[in-house]
Amino acid sequence: MILILSDRRDDAVALVLPKLERRGARVTWWDPGEFPARSRLTAAFADGGHRIVLDTGAERLDLAEVRAVWRRRPNAPCPAETVTDPSHRRHAVWQAEFLLDGAWELAPARWLPSRREAERRAHNKIIHMARAAALGFRVPETVYTNDPAELVPAYERAGGGLIAKQINSDEFTLDGADHRAYTTVLNRRHLTSRHRVQHEPVILQPYVPKAVELRVIVVGERVFAAEIDTRASRTARDDWRHYDDDRVRYAAHDLPDGLERACVELTASLGLTYGAIDLILTPDGEYTFLEINPNGAWGFVEQRAGLPVSDAIADWLVAADRTAGDTADHTAGNAADHTADGKTDHE
Amino acid sequence: MSDFGTALESGVRLLRGLPRRRAHVAEARRAAAAWAADHPGLHAQLVVDERPGTPVVDFDLLLSDPEGGTVALTAQADDGVPWLIDHSTHWAAGQLVTVDEVHLSVAQALTMIRSLSRRDTTPHDEIVDQCLILNEIAGDDGPIPGEELQAAADDFRRGRGLHDRASTLAWLAEMGMTPAQFEEYIGGIARRRSFRRRKEAELGPARLAARPGDFDRVRAVWITGPERAVAAGAATLAAVHGEGTAALAELDGEAETVIAERFAADLPEPLCEAAPGAVAGPVAHGGSFLAGVVLDRTAAREDERTLAAAGRVAFTEWLAERRSRAAVEWHWS
Repeated sequence: MILILSDRRDDAVALVLPKLERRGARVTWWDPGEFPARSRLTAAFADGGHRIVLDTGAERLDLAEVRAVWRRRPNAPCPAETVTDPSHRRHAVWQAEFLLDGAWELAPARWLPSRREAERRAHNKIIHMARAAALGFRVPETVYTNDPAELVPAYERAGGGLIAKQINSDEFTLDGADHRAYTTVLNRRHLTSRHRVQHEPVILQPYVPKAVELRVIVVGERVFAAEIDTRASRTARDDWRHYDDDRVRYAAHDLPDGLERACVELTASLGLTYGAIDLILTPDGEYTFLEINPNGAWGFVEQRAGLPVSDAIADWLVAADRTAGDTADHTAGNAADHTADGKTDHE
Repeated sequence: MSDFGTALESGVRLLRGLPRRRAHVAEARRAAAAWAADHPGLHAQLVVDERPGTPVVDFDLLLSDPEGGTVALTAQADDGVPWLIDHSTHWAAGQLVTVDEVHLSVAQALTMIRSLSRRDTTPHDEIVDQCLILNEIAGDDGPIPGEELQAAADDFRRGRGLHDRASTLAWLAEMGMTPAQFEEYIGGIARRRSFRRRKEAELGPARLAARPGDFDRVRAVWITGPERAVAAGAATLAAVHGEGTAALAELDGEAETVIAERFAADLPEPLCEAAPGAVAGPVAHGGSFLAGVVLDRTAAREDERTLAAAGRVAFTEWLAERRSRAAVEWHWS
């Protein structure tokens, strides 16, 4: 049994689901956001054992039968609308999260990309940048800081070509309107408000000149690299998340073998079975690491660059489902794709 | 402290108090002008730095240094706004309109305008319609058949008089498009046309069955023009049905005359359901007056041409209904 944890409107799941069905897999798609309001979860201990049953409202699922879990974009638990007191709602969410975390921990399944805690850890830019540097990736000279005194030296070290990024993306408003903190290329004006840096840490990096940007999708041992050529777009040149698709070119990209291997190693070393790695290929042919997103988007890699990521995800889940699950040791569960000889059961 | 030092201190206080929002720049300029009037020897000028994509502005105050040269002052209070947030961008910066899930950038809109072709609507409405179609084909990523691409490219080039490779390349250079971007652009047009064709084929038969009278083939004569000329011509039109179109020679030259066979739905509205021989009008119509008479009406039949016409009408109605449900947000500021 394969369990997909994600929002019901998730387009990525909609892409993979028919492929799982074609492979004859038994699949349940459930959003933890429906718990506890519309779903029931019971963990019962007796006779030295336990049984955990999830009743989604549409079906009852014994978690012992779940062999593969795709944790995509699940919503946080949500109480029923009839629970109106804010403190009661917070309390209900807190209890629900604890029970869910425990249930997932005990489910003898393999996870894509990982359980929540491992994903949260891997998502931390400092942690994964340190891991990437240790694995030999070329990493830009980077400062994470909230010390205003660091700003001018970083600007000068970068020869005036400095960018600022946020450490973690989050929503905020300015004058009541939603704003975004894209990758910002600094000019001298930015330095004049250096005191503001003290209020929250930022990432400072030299601007890395690019031939193309790359999004590398790792699924188990399989690697798909898409190049994103933003040079023709004034809008998306410094941050492709501005999505100027008429002027941005996407294409499949052949990574050097060693780098492809390093991408798999980096992903596995963070306890992940999936990762979306962002790299820059400089005009002089050097690959520079920017970051890894443990649950980063891959739809455009498939649609715009023609790379079969949804098939790879379906293959991974089906292979995991057909392999006997391990016990509650989630570290082993996720590392099972990377055995000593580097082979996997779904290569 | 010297007079200049005191003025600098005062200038910093001025800058710290200015409202850092685009909407309040005039207020800031008035405050700076008053300050300049109080310090006539410094020739103070306020420089307003309006950042793109955000309501936040920055200020500099330029002063004449008594020892010669210029001093530029800039100052920001600690208002507790973190640095990245102060330098953030409005989510819709650089975008023209959002229609449901489609965000159309200004650059995309300018590109889209090159392919707008309808005369019965404004570019404003046609852009929304195109975005509605983009919503529908968002998940459509299959290959586009070569003949559809070729047809879209041929129509586009023909419409702009680009009859050979040299003129096409010259046009691309003028527009700042590479051949690869042009191919992508034509691919988008082909995809939208393909969707429209599919939708018309899907909706046409039901539309024809629902109101077949809309697709009767109707031969009619109608005149348009000033009220006096059309009123005078109405009697002549009554004769046309029995005596033939020769009677039209008696019409006032100020009225414009059309003799045509159309689907009923494509006729001027007063004639759509008129019976043969009955004169419709004069009535106000499209900024002037209209009178007309149906000469002959043949009941709709389910042939290829009629189904195509029903498909076009059905698509227009589908689009109007889709538009009425859409969330449209223009980002003018």
